[in-house]
Amino acid sequence: MLNGLDIEGTSPLHRMPVRGKLIVLFVAAIVLFLTSDLRFLVPALVLAATIYLSTGIGLREAARRTRFVLFTVLLVAAANYVFHSLHEALAVFSRLSTLVLLAAAVTATTGISTFMDEITRLLTPLERFGFVRAADVSLAVGLVIRFVPEIFARYQDIADAHRARGLPVRPLSTLTPLIILTLKDADTIAMAIDARGFRRH
Amino acid sequence: MTTRDIVLVALFAAIIVVLGLLPPITLGFIPVPITAQSLGVMLAGCILGAKRGAGAVLLVLLLVAIGLPVLSGGRGGLAIFASPTGGYLVGWVFGAFVCGLIAERFAREDKGELTQFLAFLAASIVGGIAVVYLFGIPWLVYMSGKAFFETALASLVFVPGDLIKAFVAMLAGRAVLAGYPLLPQRA
Repeated sequence: MLNGLDIEGTSPLHRMPVRGKLIVLFVAAIVLFLTSDLRFLVPALVLAATIYLSTGIGLREAARRTRFVLFTVLLVAAANYVFHSLHEALAVFSRLSTLVLLAAAVTATTGISTFMDEITRLLTPLERFGFVRAADVSLAVGLVIRFVPEIFARYQDIADAHRARGLPVRPLSTLTPLIILTLKDADTIAMAIDARGFRRH
Repeated sequence: MTTRDIVLVALFAAIIVVLGLLPPITLGFIPVPITAQSLGVMLAGCILGAKRGAGAVLLVLLLVAIGLPVLSGGRGGLAIFASPTGGYLVGWVFGAFVCGLIAERFAREDKGELTQFLAFLAASIVGGIAVVYLFGIPWLVYMSGKAFFETALASLVFVPGDLIKAFVAMLAGRAVLAGYPLLPQRA
């Protein structure tokens, strides 16, 4: 049910280390906002689109994934065109679309577990100050992925129970039992985790 | 945090993900569809309190960042944070925290029913709406270039839907406090 957005492949971007990709993305995010020169922004957009498609994602899937974000970018660009100038609209559109496509390219070429390993490594320095334990974060991520299908099935059961009694399925009357039933499991799950010694430190 | 707290945070994050899988509701008098996911942010604060509530939301954002399609409409990946509306997501974390702070402070079990209702409503409006917009609008303004005023103004169409969500969060928050109180035992 919860599948990652990464695409299998061996493109240069796939082989690049996660940290490198994130640094490039971060630098791009800063540089793109420094200029409004279309001679720089338009080629950047073309380059970003080429990089995104070079991941082997396919045009249709690429469009499906970015259409919602690109739609908000288009709205912002349209506002610039209506209230300011065409130049400003094009600059905003190119700048934001470039960033969105680059970010989507990083997501498409980085597997969930690879990314999680990198996050764990980045969190380790924080451990020393006692903010968070990196192992706990991985545990929590695993728990969410494990329990989403179960909670969704529980929601369907509650909705069915409403229908069987001829009641309309309203957010309020489904949410409260869903939350109480789900959180009541917490004790059992916590006990199961402790019994297996997953968190011995 | 105890193991139980971590499990509660993870389960609530899973509930927020499930809320994004439900179809959005359209109401005649509001121009935009209402998704239940941002309701989850208010609920996280109202039910789990400040620290665990913010933790649950942060966990959802971590899943988004590592590339899981956990936001409403199957959205996910780093592109979401690069979008003009990314600030609202960052605001969710602080929103859930503030919502939890207010709920912890004022929605005590020994208080009357009306006080609890009002506390949850205030928590949802201040944390779940005001704080979220406090992060969302400056981000949008920064990303919008010169048309910042117009785009910031346009984002106000979401306020009526958010007020309805705050109302639902108030009722659900109070119902959970009565049925299975977690707010008093803080992380």
